[in-house]
Amino acid sequence: MNITDTNKKNTLSWLWLLALTVISTYVNLFLSFFNMQKSLFISIVLFIVFLKGQQIIDVFMELKQAPKLWRRLLMAYVILLPIIIGLIYLV
Amino acid sequence: MNSAVNVATENIVVERDLTKTKDTAMETKRLPGDLAMWFFILAELTVFAIFFIGFAVAEQLNTEMFTQGKAKLHQISGLINTLTLITSSYFVALALHKMHQGFGNQSARLLLVAKLIACVYIGVKIWEYLSLFEQGIDIETNTFFTLYFMITFFHLMHVLLGMVILAFIALKTAKNEYSVSNISGFESGASYWHMVDMLWIILFPLIYII
Repeated sequence: MNITDTNKKNTLSWLWLLALTVISTYVNLFLSFFNMQKSLFISIVLFIVFLKGQQIIDVFMELKQAPKLWRRLLMAYVILLPIIIGLIYLV
Repeated sequence: MNSAVNVATENIVVERDLTKTKDTAMETKRLPGDLAMWFFILAELTVFAIFFIGFAVAEQLNTEMFTQGKAKLHQISGLINTLTLITSSYFVALALHKMHQGFGNQSARLLLVAKLIACVYIGVKIWEYLSLFEQGIDIETNTFFTLYFMITFFHLMHVLLGMVILAFIALKTAKNEYSVSNISGFESGASYWHMVDMLWIILFPLIYII
């Protein structure tokens, strides 16, 4: 991957992270307008946590090009932690 | 005889190509920074995971108290802090790539920008704490605020440590102490900063949004 590609990837990732942050902050307003359940809101917010974590791990931390074990360890964190938190809130 | 020589030559060429491919794969599968830093990052993530799970369990045991507590928090300041940490992390990633290109001075400037943006986080956090103190709320108010102050202050300490590390690598970058082949220390510092960002990305929805 050349430098221009990497910079472009960083910039796209940054914009995506900003957009996801704003969505997760205001998704509740949107859902309450349609009388959606709180469980759906929590699930969406926690799924966004996973999406953001994945961007940071793969793009900013550059672990996509690292040995698989290290990427898997960090990805496990952003997958398992939201699942555990979700189970605590929803079950 | 000639065909035997040709086959042997072809085999050597194929073996060389395979070695090259293996070398390229080894290069592309490199862990950025020092291994010790990644173990440290894993330890930090584990400590915060315990805090986050503890907070979620405490919320289920005191739902009303936590709902009232969250209503007193300034959600916009949490949002601003998330945006600042993401942006700061972005500038650190850009700085690392400038360093990969060998542009030390530009890299140092980008690190300085990342640090200045992180200062916004510090300012907003202090403002948030002060506005809660003005309302008579502190760490002893109830379980929610005990956990809120404990977790956010612990994270703030990590931001401050991250800023010290950024200052250190910015100084070394400006002095041309890193090079394209000697960049491990820079990568370790950058990875630590991204971890601080990642922790806030979990902390913000857990404490401010859900």
